Amino acid sequence: MNWIGFAPEMVNLLAVVVFLGLALAPANPRRDFVAAMALSLLGLAVSLAVVRATGELPHQGYRADLFAQVYKILLAGGLVLVVAVCRDLADVEARRHPEFFLLLFTCNLAMTMLVSAVHLLAVYLALELSSYALYVLVVLRRDRELGVEAALKYFLVGVVASAVTLFGFALLYAVTRATTLDALARALVGLGANPLAAVGLLLTLGGFFFKLAVFPFHFWAPDVYQGAVHQVGAYIATVSKVAAMGVLLRLTALTHAGGPPLVTLLAVLAMASMTVGNLAAIGQQDLKRLLACSSVAHGGYVLIGLLSFSPAAHAAVMFYALGVLLMKFTCFLVVVTVAGDGRNPRLEDLAGLHARSPVLALALMMALFGLAGIPPTIGFTGKLLVFKAAVDQGHLALVIFAMLNVVVSLYYYLLVLKAAYLAEPAAGLPPLRVPRGVPVLAAALACAMVAIGFFPAPVIRLALAAAAALG
Amino acid sequence: MNLYAVAFYLLAAVILGATLMAVTRRHLVHAVLYLIVSFFGSALLFYLFGAPLLAALEVIIYAGAVMILFLFIVMMLRVGADQGPLFPPRQILPAIAMAAVYLAVASLLAVRDTGTGGVLQTALADPRAFGDYLFRNAWLAVEIVSLLLLVALVGALVLGGRTPAADTPEGPGAPREVRP
Repeated sequence: MNWIGFAPEMVNLLAVVVFLGLALAPANPRRDFVAAMALSLLGLAVSLAVVRATGELPHQGYRADLFAQVYKILLAGGLVLVVAVCRDLADVEARRHPEFFLLLFTCNLAMTMLVSAVHLLAVYLALELSSYALYVLVVLRRDRELGVEAALKYFLVGVVASAVTLFGFALLYAVTRATTLDALARALVGLGANPLAAVGLLLTLGGFFFKLAVFPFHFWAPDVYQGAVHQVGAYIATVSKVAAMGVLLRLTALTHAGGPPLVTLLAVLAMASMTVGNLAAIGQQDLKRLLACSSVAHGGYVLIGLLSFSPAAHAAVMFYALGVLLMKFTCFLVVVTVAGDGRNPRLEDLAGLHARSPVLALALMMALFGLAGIPPTIGFTGKLLVFKAAVDQGHLALVIFAMLNVVVSLYYYLLVLKAAYLAEPAAGLPPLRVPRGVPVLAAALACAMVAIGFFPAPVIRLALAAAAALG
Repeated sequence: MNLYAVAFYLLAAVILGATLMAVTRRHLVHAVLYLIVSFFGSALLFYLFGAPLLAALEVIIYAGAVMILFLFIVMMLRVGADQGPLFPPRQILPAIAMAAVYLAVASLLAVRDTGTGGVLQTALADPRAFGDYLFRNAWLAVEIVSLLLLVALVGALVLGGRTPAADTPEGPGAPREVRP
């Protein structure tokens, strides 16, 4: 057996053990941050090194194929970015920092397992592990009431979603008697129109829609983003979403043709998700709540890619995952920097950002343009790929509906931009304290968003190769 | 009607009765005790069906661990008996409506043959074979569960741990408080 393919999981596990040890030592935030940064960078390096190494655990339903390995790069890269903004973790008690990183790495480990698992049991357990780690992470805010309230909402919606998923698994098992995704795919080929199979598959997807904050399971998003520490919010908005897209790709790739009932239901969910997310975002004054609503809308766009069931669409969703990772993280970089004291930033707190930190404002502009789908950014290219794949599969009406939604979303993204560039800061606003590394990071992110938007070909090639591994 | 059937109907009656008592008691501790009786009944039912391991797990996990947890919470929170009506109308009316739907569907299924029935294969496994299979063919799942327990432990620590006062200086330089 080839163990080298599982190196990313091993590094994550090593990090968990390290922080378990550090949790026993006296508090030292500086040491915790350095250790986390080093371990996450090691994780990214290892993920990049083993991208071509594949392996499978016999009987365990665990497979590190090219698809999983590419996703592990995204997850490890996202973790590096999130850890990079954890240097000043003022909103978490100093003595809880090792636990914070322990949970962060556990969650990342769970998500790497989530995209590699091909047995229903392993998929479910990995989903639960990642969710529970996040529930506890949300609690870890100095303002306990805010954190506990958000975590409780997150937990209650999450538990219901898990129950729905289990019900879906049970129905699928009843129809097909299969427990691995391969066997399930073989058994589902002739069952496209079987209502029980379609309902089972839809319910199965429910738990992962919760992760992606898609329409019926989106209620938690604004409250959790608002209540959680900014860094945890960044993690949920980026890495968690990427993992959800990965596992949804694996599950939807099962049903090659999909079958009409499933496609129709997914299309309805996509439309509802886009509309609800965009309309709810318009009135938001809290920047994090606005980003949460935008996440709900983006869940809808991703669903369009998922319901197209073609290799091109799968590759488009993977590209979109990279885009969401970069764009949402940039927004949260601004949130973390503007609200250095741990408050929740409001739109008016962005006033005069272009003068206070030009690089940060520029990166924010690129990210918002990307989220709204304006060229020449990665967001535009991602939307173009998803919509083109959907049109190729004959979902023209759905794409037109999505375009209308994009126009709606433009309004509130531009509101944020107006606050950052045109509004004059109130007299009492304290000067912005920008840590040294932040402008460099912001500039790098802005460059990456534009560069990948202009030259997407290498990324698309890799995504297509990975999508081929889905089978 | 052989001895097994008699035992089954007897157990079923005890379970139903105990559960009914559990949901209608005003005193929470009494309710929990009735629920334990109901769980013991279910465990015996499993034993009757030839699943001794499941019966043991039912007693250990549900009648043991979960119920102890319930009792702990009831005693910790010191919830007094509620004086209002046991089932206020805004709770009981939706419940009745949903129960009616359930009853209608169930009776429809009982009366009409839907043609979707299938015989599930029963698998008998003694605890040794079960454990053997679990650790040979599903060790990854066991490992994930162990991590899940670690996360739960950390969560309990974080939620239940003492929170320092907001004005306590914290950080590497701050002297560490020693509590007796």
